[in-house]
Amino acid sequence: MANILSMGVLFGLMGLSSAHASEAQASMLANTCNGCHGPNGVSQGPATPTIAGLNKFYLVESLKTYRDDANRPSTIMSRIAKGYSDAEIEKIAGHFSSLPFGRVAMQKTDEALAAKGKVLIKDLCESCHEKEGYAAEDYPVLAGQMLPYLRNNLMDFESGLRSIDANPNMSKKEKRKKKRILAELKDKHGAEGVEAVLQFFASRK
Amino acid sequence: MSNMNRRKFLRTTGGVALATGATLAAPSLANAAAGGKVVIVGGGVGGATTARYLKLGNPDIDVTLIEPKASYHTCFMSNEVIGGVRSLSQIEQTYDGLIKMGVKVMKDSVTGIDAAKKTVTTKSGSKLSFERCVVAPGIDFKVDEFASVGAFDKIPHAWKAGPQTALLRKQLEAMPDGGTVCLVAPTNPFRCPPGPYERTSLIASYLKQHKPKSKVVVIDRKDKFSKMNLFIQAWKDLYGYGTDNSMIEWRSGTSVGSIEAISATDMRVETLGGGTETFDVINYIPPQKAGVIAATIGLTNAGGWCDVDKTTFESKVHKGVHVLGDASVATKMPKSGYSANSQGKVCAAAIVNMLAGQPVGMPSYINTCYSIAGKDYGFSVTAVYRYSAEGDIIAGVEGAGGLSPMDASAEMRRREVEFAHSWYNNICKDTWG
Repeated sequence: MANILSMGVLFGLMGLSSAHASEAQASMLANTCNGCHGPNGVSQGPATPTIAGLNKFYLVESLKTYRDDANRPSTIMSRIAKGYSDAEIEKIAGHFSSLPFGRVAMQKTDEALAAKGKVLIKDLCESCHEKEGYAAEDYPVLAGQMLPYLRNNLMDFESGLRSIDANPNMSKKEKRKKKRILAELKDKHGAEGVEAVLQFFASRK
Repeated sequence: MSNMNRRKFLRTTGGVALATGATLAAPSLANAAAGGKVVIVGGGVGGATTARYLKLGNPDIDVTLIEPKASYHTCFMSNEVIGGVRSLSQIEQTYDGLIKMGVKVMKDSVTGIDAAKKTVTTKSGSKLSFERCVVAPGIDFKVDEFASVGAFDKIPHAWKAGPQTALLRKQLEAMPDGGTVCLVAPTNPFRCPPGPYERTSLIASYLKQHKPKSKVVVIDRKDKFSKMNLFIQAWKDLYGYGTDNSMIEWRSGTSVGSIEAISATDMRVETLGGGTETFDVINYIPPQKAGVIAATIGLTNAGGWCDVDKTTFESKVHKGVHVLGDASVATKMPKSGYSANSQGKVCAAAIVNMLAGQPVGMPSYINTCYSIAGKDYGFSVTAVYRYSAEGDIIAGVEGAGGLSPMDASAEMRRREVEFAHSWYNNICKDTWG
């Protein structure tokens, strides 16, 4: 009995700090993000984006761009992304891409503008952001993303702070297409057109 | 491995561990719940996050959370209530989310914890057994010569949110234009290091709009403070700091010398540097220590805080009892809501594995603290942490984290406020469900 008990003590001790696995698990790394991005990466809003249900490649690209170069403006993400290795970024991205993109935030949107946006995105956005922005396979989900986040990013594309040219993962043809579409949205449809597109995507439930 | 698979996996291994426990004839395990039994003391950020993530990690764990208050007012964002831009009900969190996921929430006060017998006793006379106990009592105030508990009815601390927050707000509203507010900032270490200076900013913001002849005087006990350069820049940008018409006057610990007296009766503060002064409103934030229950059961060190294993948050005094959040010594994490949330996840993951007889995983932690200095004017400090056995600290990853840049654009300062408000909603959902 004494032997069994001391074995039990040893077994118990194994659970303490001396026996840590050498690398943090994906859930351990990813759960720390939930404080800002919401439980399971689904944001309650108003501005911080939902990161669940985005494709893994896009999440990896985003984290690495925040971490490694100046072509993705941020308030805080560049400081945070520098805390993770390539392997850890893969784990975090894998974790969130496997979770569903939830639409729980009560976003106030303008119905009339959203209806106008629904028409505009057919020609302008849907060839990449398919299924009215719900598709996640190749490009980030836009349907139900946070309105201020969408607005900030369009602002940054326009100012060049978020550089399409510097994106290492887009072909030249793709870059030309994106820049042409963004210019067309602004030049042909004006500020109201831009807002209509934003309102449409933000209004998706 | 998907969540569902992981849960199944843990449930299975939990079963195996229980069988092992039974053969060892440990009495506390003999009649335990299928997944193990955990009692959590305190329903703030640390306690609630641990409860939620224990249930997420293994729904079969029997989790009881004991908290005397029916709901919790977060200290974070309470400065917006004091500044008049948020209502008290907008910082109130209930326990409904935790109850819904199967946490037993008991409205009661813990009077004792017997670490050897593994029992918790409460004021109402309940006695609960546990395999693991989590103590998350937050802070209490060190008794000093300046403020007895009763004095806080007149000179509120407002450092535990709720009625005290409402009282300070009411006093600011009642103050005539031309009045002076005094904020006495605490010595290190204390809950929410940038908090007194955010509060100073948001009081100044309120006064600027509604009582422009008034001002805030900060009597500090330190010569520097968290995000100091960012705050001073914001005060210059927004409140005329450094000019004759400054709405904020900050006095360093050195210039104050020492505080000789603070009187709630005649609203008087006496310092070596400033002599005797009277104020219209005094916000006295006293020096702090771990919540009283921690000392009652002998968990605290000489400084009044609880030493823990920083990878599991298990007490260095009592095995089987974990302490986290503000009450713990989690060097170099600050005492903040985000730290408590992050620590709750590390602690919950450790307990899930311990109860299942599995090795504890490698932890990872984050802290992010936003401060709002005025309308559309926010900034932050952040860090990604790993445990470093060398020096036994939770060390910030080198090259990561840090402060918002001093030269950030107005647009980036505006976005930080948006993200601060989002952070509030998300961390509360992540903590209380």
